[in-house]
Amino acid sequence: MKIIGLIITVTTGALLFYAAGDFPAWSDPASPASTYLSPHFIEKTMEETSVPNIVTAVLADYRGFDTMFETAVIFSAGVVCFFLLRISRREDEEPETRYYRHVLTGVTIQLKEGHEIPPSADFERIDSMWTPPDLIIKTGCRLLIPFVQLFALYVIAHGHHSPGGGFQGGVILGASVILFAISHDLRTAVRRMSEKLIGILCAAGVLIYAGTGALCLLLKLNFLDYSALAGVLHVDPITARSHGILIVEIGVGIAVLATMIWIYNNISSAGRYRQGL
Amino acid sequence: MDIMNIIVCVLLFSGLFFLTGGAVGILRFPDFYSRLHPAGKLDTLGSFLAMTAFALFNLHHFSLGALLTSLKILLIVVFIFLASPTATHGIVDAGVRAGLAPWTKGEKRR
Repeated sequence: MKIIGLIITVTTGALLFYAAGDFPAWSDPASPASTYLSPHFIEKTMEETSVPNIVTAVLADYRGFDTMFETAVIFSAGVVCFFLLRISRREDEEPETRYYRHVLTGVTIQLKEGHEIPPSADFERIDSMWTPPDLIIKTGCRLLIPFVQLFALYVIAHGHHSPGGGFQGGVILGASVILFAISHDLRTAVRRMSEKLIGILCAAGVLIYAGTGALCLLLKLNFLDYSALAGVLHVDPITARSHGILIVEIGVGIAVLATMIWIYNNISSAGRYRQGL
Repeated sequence: MDIMNIIVCVLLFSGLFFLTGGAVGILRFPDFYSRLHPAGKLDTLGSFLAMTAFALFNLHHFSLGALLTSLKILLIVVFIFLASPTATHGIVDAGVRAGLAPWTKGEKRR
């Protein structure tokens, strides 16, 4: 079996190398890609979409299908992580002893035989493997997180003019929430952003992208041809393409943000959602 | 050679001095905790001095745009000042909680 695998791998590799000989030379100006496609993008992007950053225009407009399914791949990565790792509550029954901490005094209480304290502001549920939160790290992260999130929004919104866009901005946004989960604990982070909300956001991001495309279809143009949105947004078709790119970038950002947090939550707590790192 | 250039040079070279010291310290100190000491302190101070030098040098031809760029550079300094010591503290804290004993005199380097 191993030998068959080896033969297949070597043959495929040899074929790929053989085919690579037919590629045009590096930066050959006469190659097909640089004769028709690249000059068109370089010369016409500004007048067709009014987006100064050609990469963004190619990614979200000219090659919108590709990016849409990339977003779908990220969505499915999150969903797969959830289905593989998440341990449902029925199998993972509540522990016999529970630990609570009185917030004001820091006194830890142990309750045996399944007793529990109803949720209140005075007592905080903690886990047996719990380590006390560190004031310096908590404060430092609390100071940094708003700026991280502000920068993430800037990266998403400024994708038209500078490097950036939905994927990068979404990752930074997700990282800020993960930083919160690391500096406090997973339970606090999940209380702020519940699993349900994460799942909904994850799907909503893809839905915004695909929905924008479908809306163009309903407005009698091709799928993901944003100039169809001109009537809805009350702008001319070229500006509508620019705005359409922003809309789908926001969708991508939401999907990536939710997926990052979802994967982190599931992996760091081994699917139990009890105590993170 | 005006006074501004001299200030920029002094700041830049003292920044480089501290950054070099940090690098030497990371290589030569004997254990995890003591290596984090130069990594956390000297790098922060070194980048603070170097960044201030950049911000001043950028103001050579004074304009509103240059001032804005300088303010952004100083903003980086602020974030390094917040993030770097916090991260160092977090790493040391993790080491203590994981049960790593600090190095004492006479022991072997590790």
